[in-house]
Amino acid sequence: MQHAEQLVAGARTVASATSPSPLLDVRDLTVTFPGAAGPVQIVRGLNYSIARGETLGIVGESGCGKTMTSLALLGLVSGGGKVDGTIDFNGSNLVSFSQRQWQQLRGRDIAMIFQEPMTAMNPVMPVGRQIGEVLIKHQKLSRRQAEKRAVELLASVGIPSPARRAQDYPHQLSGGMRQRAMIAMALACRPRLLIADEPTTALDVTIQAQILDLMLTLQDEAKMSIQFISHNLAVVSEVAHSIMVMYAGKAVEYAPSDDLFANPLHPYTQGLIATLPDPDKQVKRLYVIPGRVTSGITVGCRFASRCPRADEGCRRTEPEFVEVAPGHHVACHKVGS
Amino acid sequence: MLRYTVSRLLQAVLVILVMSLLLFMLIGLMPGDPVENMLEGNPSLTPDTMAQMRALYGLDQPVYVRYGHWLYSALHGDLGYSSVYFRPVLEVLGPAIVQTAKLLVATEIISIPLAMLLGALAARRPGGWTDSLISLFAFASISLPGFWTSLILIIVFSVKLGWLPASGTPLMGDASLSEQIVHMILPVTVLTFFHVGPLVRYVRASMIETLNSDFVRTARAKGLSESAVIIRHALRNALIPMVTVLALGFGSLFSGALVVETIFGMLGMGKIIYDAVSNIDFNLALVGLLLATIVTLLSSLLADLAYAWLDPRIVLK
Repeated sequence: MQHAEQLVAGARTVASATSPSPLLDVRDLTVTFPGAAGPVQIVRGLNYSIARGETLGIVGESGCGKTMTSLALLGLVSGGGKVDGTIDFNGSNLVSFSQRQWQQLRGRDIAMIFQEPMTAMNPVMPVGRQIGEVLIKHQKLSRRQAEKRAVELLASVGIPSPARRAQDYPHQLSGGMRQRAMIAMALACRPRLLIADEPTTALDVTIQAQILDLMLTLQDEAKMSIQFISHNLAVVSEVAHSIMVMYAGKAVEYAPSDDLFANPLHPYTQGLIATLPDPDKQVKRLYVIPGRVTSGITVGCRFASRCPRADEGCRRTEPEFVEVAPGHHVACHKVGS
Repeated sequence: MLRYTVSRLLQAVLVILVMSLLLFMLIGLMPGDPVENMLEGNPSLTPDTMAQMRALYGLDQPVYVRYGHWLYSALHGDLGYSSVYFRPVLEVLGPAIVQTAKLLVATEIISIPLAMLLGALAARRPGGWTDSLISLFAFASISLPGFWTSLILIIVFSVKLGWLPASGTPLMGDASLSEQIVHMILPVTVLTFFHVGPLVRYVRASMIETLNSDFVRTARAKGLSESAVIIRHALRNALIPMVTVLALGFGSLFSGALVVETIFGMLGMGKIIYDAVSNIDFNLALVGLLLATIVTLLSSLLADLAYAWLDPRIVLK
């Protein structure tokens, strides 16, 4: 586990001076969609919180409910999806918000960066105007002021000749530039919480590092909290103070970053860490977790079909999500027994 | 952009030349000829005089010679004489073009915004009751035949209520503007109703797709109101694929408003072309059909320019 130790060394530790009440406190968050064979729970009973200035990483495979969790925080679950539970953000429960309240909140208090900056920007509107729009909406700037501020924002995310770039359309920018512009747009109103949904997945590795650096710098400047979503545990390890691992709509392990890497308890987390290629080791084949996410399992542990340690009990009853060490939660029958 | 437009216009000239030859030959293939038509039922006519007449009009010559003659005079501004109206072709077509242009422009000015509004409303909640109502309207528009709608409207508004005239053109030559507008109401209504249904369906489909796209989600995530999302972000993107449909629709309306023109007694392009063809008015039919070709070509050029204007990703070369 030498590689894991390196990751631990790189992981960010939770700042000791966190304020007593977290910025975001999610309790029993469930997202249900109508399905052909009755309602399907895409996200099931999530509990987590993010302190001010802290980054939570959410990790899991495609389709595990990561993105749905983020959309729920913005009230953007569409297609008949229903959100239950409580989302306590800065003292108010977002689940009971009206459409009007949501529109006040989005872009101002909670902003989101999407995975694919090409499709996430309006192709027929200049980048500067797309950024200015959010300022006009929330800071009541005039169109002229907003355009001017947009240029400043583009400069602040490291885009060269920002005044000219503001006039450009998204297709005229490179992938990295577009993602920088997306970040400028998301940070325009200095939100308290930034949701970053795979912000670097569509980018080259060198650009990835730049974008991550940029996000962390801006986070320190603005004392902003980040919910960082990725399928890539290595990327998350670089930015997150704590990490929640999701599998099939549920949290299977939730712990401070260093703790998670030093002492991964859930077999799925262990598998994810094992899949990270170690540059110091020569291997013939990279490790893969056998099988794939099986949907439609309603009884027992959802990971049981892929778990090397699963037994009859795992297939019969669903494990509780319990705190096994301070701040370290896991849902597995095999832990502690 | 200018270079593109000029080269497209040159291409259009070529297409018009080819079309004129094709139309010339096609009309020549029709049974009967102008001489027969003109002198039909004249008992004192002998086959000899018929042949003389044909020679006089040059109808005994091969088609390419005749086409050459026609093209030569056409390029010198002489488009020939209408054998039905006994006037120069241009004199017959002039008022018809004006008539059709009024009808079409009024129809498009009403139906495009109407289709955008209804399509966008329907797309907001697919399967909802607004959507069902609008779809019902669209299907009625697509399915109900134009002559039937025209007659029903005439019965209701002209015969029963007496609010509107049953004819599309004022009887007096120099009618006031308001009178002209009153006469246009029923024909424009029928044509709009006929035209708007398919457009609504297209806008709806395009809007549903656009509203599900990532950048619309981004716009919502910025806190924009739903109407700002639709008007500022979705509509323009949804309109891009609509441009072709609109351009083709304009071309087909130009010569295809026949039923409405017939029922409301308007001498528009559709009616003129139909009459010219059925009476073998060679010159009139040829020029009328060529005009329809030109309008279609121009509207497709306009469509391409509109694409470039709506979508910055498209660069015309």
